[in-house]
This record gives sequence, C-alpha cells and structure tokens, in this order.
Amino acid sequence: MWQQILPGLRIKLFMTVVLGIIYPLAMTGLCRLLFPRQANGSLITQGDKVIGSEIIAQNFTKPEYFHPRPSVAGSGYDATASGGSNLGPTSAKLIRGTTKMDDKKNEVVDFDGISLRIVHYCVDNDVPYESSVPLDRFKTANGDLDDVKLIKAFNDEKAPLVFTPRAPIPADAVTASASGLDPHISPESAQLQSARVAKARGASLDQINRLVAQFTEPPELGILGEPRVNVLKLNLALDRELARR
Amino acid sequence: MTSVGILQIFIFLAIILACAKPLGGFMANVFNGERTFLHPLLRWLEVLTYKAIGVREDVEQRWTQYTAALLSFSVFGFLLTYAIQRLQGYLPFNPQGFGAAQVSPDLAFNTAASFVTNTNWQSYTGESTLSYFVQMSVLTVQNFASAAAGIAIAIALIRGFTRQEKRTVGNFWVDVTRATVYVLLPLAVIAALLYCSQGVIQNLKPYTTLTTVEGAKQVIAQGPVASQEAIKQLGTNGGGFFNANAAHPFENPTPLSNLLAMVLIFLIPGALTYTFGKMVGDTRQGWAIFAAFSAMFLIGVFVAYHYEQAGNPNLTGLGIQNQASAGQPGGNMEGKELRFGIANSALFATVTTDASCGAINSWHDSFTALGGLVPMFNMMTGEVIFGGVGAGLYGILLYCIIAVFIAGLMVGRTPEYLGKKIEQKEVKMAMLAIIATAFSILVFSAISMVADFHAKGYWNPPGAAAANINNSGPHGLSEILYAYVSATANNGSAFAGLNTNTPWYNLTLGLAMIIGRFLFLIPLLAAAGSLAAKKKIPVTAGTFPTHGPLFVGLLVGTVILVGALTFFPALSLGPIVEHFLMQSGKLFSMIPVTQLWS
Repeated sequence: MWQQILPGLRIKLFMTVVLGIIYPLAMTGLCRLLFPRQANGSLITQGDKVIGSEIIAQNFTKPEYFHPRPSVAGSGYDATASGGSNLGPTSAKLIRGTTKMDDKKNEVVDFDGISLRIVHYCVDNDVPYESSVPLDRFKTANGDLDDVKLIKAFNDEKAPLVFTPRAPIPADAVTASASGLDPHISPESAQLQSARVAKARGASLDQINRLVAQFTEPPELGILGEPRVNVLKLNLALDRELARR
Repeated sequence: MTSVGILQIFIFLAIILACAKPLGGFMANVFNGERTFLHPLLRWLEVLTYKAIGVREDVEQRWTQYTAALLSFSVFGFLLTYAIQRLQGYLPFNPQGFGAAQVSPDLAFNTAASFVTNTNWQSYTGESTLSYFVQMSVLTVQNFASAAAGIAIAIALIRGFTRQEKRTVGNFWVDVTRATVYVLLPLAVIAALLYCSQGVIQNLKPYTTLTTVEGAKQVIAQGPVASQEAIKQLGTNGGGFFNANAAHPFENPTPLSNLLAMVLIFLIPGALTYTFGKMVGDTRQGWAIFAAFSAMFLIGVFVAYHYEQAGNPNLTGLGIQNQASAGQPGGNMEGKELRFGIANSALFATVTTDASCGAINSWHDSFTALGGLVPMFNMMTGEVIFGGVGAGLYGILLYCIIAVFIAGLMVGRTPEYLGKKIEQKEVKMAMLAIIATAFSILVFSAISMVADFHAKGYWNPPGAAAANINNSGPHGLSEILYAYVSATANNGSAFAGLNTNTPWYNLTLGLAMIIGRFLFLIPLLAAAGSLAAKKKIPVTAGTFPTHGPLFVGLLVGTVILVGALTFFPALSLGPIVEHFLMQSGKLFSMIPVTQLWS
C-alpha cells in the first residue's frame, strides 16, 4: 500500500514548487514584461499621484461629475471588499430599503433600496415624476431630502409612498452592480445625467453629449457585451476640457 | 431577449464545438501514451515528475490501487492546504500581514475540502483573508491537481469500456502527470497572458492606496490574479481571487475576457467527449454525448436568459425599464455588471453551473426566481451538462449506464453499452452514486432549516442555522438548498447572501463536498474495474445503438427525470413558489428567525 501512498506526498510537494511557485512567478515576470500597465491594475496617475484605476469604480457625488452605478461593496466602492447585495427579487429590503438605530440611538439608513435610489435619480437629474405625497414633506431643515423619512414612507404598510417616474429609468442606474466596482454606466444613463453636468459646469448640453458619445465604448468586435461609458475616464475628460464652476 | 444576445450564445457554442475535435484528439493521444507535438517541448518535465515522485511509467494499477492513489493524492492535498492556510502569518508573499486570525480552523477545513474536491466554494473573502502565498502555493496548485484528478478518473472509466478481460485501468500518477503537463499547464500559460492583455492583474505588490478625484481614500486590492484565473476557469474550479469572483473588473475586465472565461470552462469537458469517442473506437459515441450536453445547455441558457430579461415585476412597477434598447440592457440588473449585461450574465450562470466551475460574473442570489432555478437545476443533475473537467464525462457515463438499463427494462433484454453487458454490479454502483449525492443535498438542507443553536454560541453565532439567510420567504429556503446542492455537486457557486462562515456551515458544507466527490467517483471506479474485466460482446441486430438521436433523447430524459423527480418537491417550495409570489407582487421582510423556532 505504501507504494500507492508515498507518491501522493511527493507529487504534492513537487507540484507546489512547479505550479505554486515557479508558474505564478514566471507569469508575473512575463506579464510585467508584456503588459506592464494591465498587470499593475491599469492605474491612472496625475502628476506623480495615483488617482484611480481605469477599471475600478470610484464614487462621484458632485453634480459636475457623472455618477457611477450604486455600490454595496463594503460601505460603497470599497476595492478591498468587492460584492453585491445578494438580495432576491422578493426582498422588501431591496425594493423599499431599511433603517436601523446607530450607536447614539439615532435612526439612520441601513440599506437605501431601489425606491429611494429612483427618487434621488429623478430629483438629481430633473426626470419628471409623480409622487403620492409631495416630496417637500420629506425634507430636512436645510432643504435636503430626508432618506430615513422616505424609507419609512415606502415601508408604510397602510399607505405606502408611491413614487413614479414619468420617463423610464435605465435599470443599471438604480441597481447595485455585482462587484460593487463596476466602472461603467449605460449610455442612456449617461445621457440622462448630461443636463445636470452641463448646468453644474456652465457648459452647453451639446458639449457634454459630445464627450459622452466620444467615451461610449461599443460592444467588442461589434457584438460582444454591452455598449458602455467608463465613468472615471469621462469625468477626467470633463475636468480636462471644461472648467469646474 | 435580443438578437445580439442570442447570437453571442450560439457563437460561444460554436467555438466549443470547433475546439472539441482538435483538443479531444490530442488528449486521446496523450493518455494513450503516444507522442504529440508538445513532447519535444515538455517530455522532460513529465520524466522529471516521475523521477521526483518515484513511480514507473509502465506499471499499471487495478481499480483498487488506482482509488488508493487518488485518495492519497487528495488527503495530502487536503493536509497541505489546511496547514499552509493556518500558518500563512509565518510565510512569505504576505504584504497585507494576514495570519491565523483571518482563517479559523473550521474555515480552513472548509476551504481545504473545497479545493481538494474541485468545488472551490468560498466561505472566505479572498482579498481580506488570504496571503498571496496561500493563493499561489495551495489554491492555484489545488486548481491544477483537482482538475487533473478529474480527467484521470474519466480516462480510467473510458479504459473500463475499451479493455477486455484486463484487471488494470491505467496508472493514476501517470494520468495525473500527463493531464497537468500536456493539457492544463500549456493552456493555462496561454490563457493567463490573454487575460493579462485584457486587464487582469498579475503582481505581488501591496494593495494600492490612493486619493480619488473627489478626494476620498480608496484602497485597491492587488495580487497574482491572471495565473490563478486561467487555471480556475480551465480546470472548472471557480474559486475567485476576490470575493466578487469573475464579476470583479480585475478578474474579468472586458466582454472578451468574459468570453475567454466561458470558453475555458467548457473547453476540456467538450473536448473529452471526442477523446471518449476516439478511445472507444467510435467517434459517433462521443458526438452523441456532445449533442446531449448541447441540448440540455441550450434549454437552460434560454430559460435563464428569458426570465432575467423579463426582469422583476416588482421593479417594473417602480418605473424601471425592463426592455433592452440600444443604450441600456434592461432586465434584472441587480447584482450584474454592465459590461456583461443580461445575455452574458445568464449565459455565464448557465455555463458555470453546467460545468462544475462555480465562478460567477453576476450574483445568482439576485436572479429572478426562475432565472435562479436554472443554475440550481443544472447542479442537481449532478453536473452532467458538459460538467467539470473529467467529472462531466464520468458523470454522464453513469447516466448512460442508467439510460441503457431503463431501455433494457422496457424491452426485457440485458442492457449493454459499448459492447459491455451492464449487469447488477454496474447498476448498483451507478445508483449508489446518485443516492449518496441526493441524500447529502436533501438531508443537510433539511437539518439546516430546523437546527437550533445557542445564539452567540460556538456552532452558529446567529443562533438557528436558518437565521444565517439574507432573504426571507421561499428565497431563504433557496439560499440554503443552493448551498448544499452546490457543495455536493462540487460546483462552488452560491446564493451568496447566506452567511456560511460559521462552524456549522463550514463543517457540513465541507462534508457535503467530500461526500459528493468521493461517494460519486469511488463507485464509478469500481464499475470501471468490473467493466474492464468483461469480454466485449459483438454488435447484433438486437443491439440498441447508442449513437443515434433516440439514445440522445433517452439520455437527456434520464438526466432530467432523475434530477426532477428527486428534487422537484424542494424546488417547488423554493424558486417555483417564489416565482408566483413575485408575479403577484408579494415582498418579504426579514423576520428574526430565532423567534420562529424558540
């Protein structure tokens, strides 16, 4: 029997050296030689500072920038904790959101939910909508929307808040991506955001739309995958070509 | 569904079909010990391996010795994987300083079982748990090893059909070495370079800390990903370097890398059907199996694609666009990446669960009810739609035995397959394999639905095992069921909302993986041994041909019936009832489950 068993140990050690050390190290050397930029994460630098990776989403919240897809990686766009919501199609949490009590016993947003994302998307981008209760009732003292109040209104069993956009919202704009680091938005979502960006930058809608078109990547080889816009690259182009106001 | 989406599915299948003959014929030559075009380049490595491990190339093994060798290979793989994970703090290539604190004993057990059985289930989050050394020296190695073992067993089973009155089925060490040296390693090197050209990272640097355009701090995980990604898909392993697996832009940055990933997953399983045909001396036998694979694959992919594109009616009501248009993909985009859209996400989910890969490019947990049923059903068949490397072929040969047995019963003749009489022993062994896996799936799922533990205790800190779910209602049952199906079928994908990193789940899922692997393939090796010892009987007018459409239909029917009859009750309580509730707009909030059971 030892005849069959000892080779098991020996082959394991042999494989560890050949496949576990030599193979990955050789590939590391070869990739660095042939594809140095990709092997190191397609990093973008400004001066001598790294400001992001071309293929990893980073958050943008200011009106003068295009915004990426929602992310639930860590506390959002955390590139050390990639992941999605893993909420299913009948999850109330996914659709209406949830709140929780924080350490100081204040009610805060636990999970924003798709309904709330739609409200923000419509308000931010001037998409017309109908609301069963005027949104003014959900504002804080300084005039911002109160997310906690809105989530509670969506979850109200008796008379839930019904909020309906008048224009269809692209699905990718209000759903969390799988990695939480999706660097792209759909061309339609980009076009819906153009007016906001143009206004915030004092630029013409045409200028913005031209840039969006320029940064819209078609499906690869004409058929593979979806047409898409890389948010970081587009925003950097905006900063290069148009002044921030 | 869009025409471009449908076209992509057929292009993918055409590539697999085109590769089957060249690669399959090459593998037949390799395992028959013939010289190939790679021998001048790689023969030295094969010889060196035999020298290093002390085996002779020309000595064959009986099925019992072959099995002992396989078990020894797996046990040492298991021990090494466990030990290196626990000791990672003392080992090199660890820029983030991960130690034993990140890897508890039960987690290390689960991961070791997972990577030895070709499951590659992940209870851990790669980027915040494991050092580069662990990822390379144990996980990458196990990716090669478990895949090579799968191929070896399939080849041994084929030899059972081709040999007459022989007591041996080949030499495990030789088969594993040849599979690694001539098939897996060369393809992995090419695939890793292609991946890197698309943007998959390959470095040993510490994580990159940077300040974003809006001034926030972002830390980006790094690592030797391309070398692992290549063998992970090629060996139908599926364990991701990162938590988001092949949805992570660093593992799968472009639609082209996504196509490469899917092709790598089906490449060897598809080609092995041709290897089988060539080795048994009748390539039509191989093409019949390829046809059965393709039929079941196409049914699954179009069901999944249809329901994912139709989307979630609960979202349509909110004003979200479900129809695809030129500027956006529509459909159920929760948990999907934009560059893949609906078509490539549904296709990938089908491919990864047809084969026992388990890599994901979208979260199956967020699929619509019936879209998510497809991956689950694929795994419930026992991974015999292309299947894992080797595992798919030996799995479908098991179903062939059952199919000819059923056909034999209907006409009252002793069933035969490829000239071998299928008798009591072979049928018993085939049924043992099927019952063992069904038992593991259903019994573990049932126990996890009702098992109650002390909250904050050792076994399951959240309390009841059912409290670990992330979704309430029927979807919660689906999460638990999916976990044990995936573990037992050695797939490794998940309805990942379920928190499985507790001792209860780590241990039972690890056990399910071991049952699913070894109680499936040991009976098969026994059948191979008994088949090899038999005489071939000549083909007569009464022989049931096993290369025509009638047999393909019978085979597909057997796979679907055995899967459906065994698991239909569980599926109807999970995804099927969820589908109807979803259509009627019913939503579920999380109820603290502990209250239900106490």
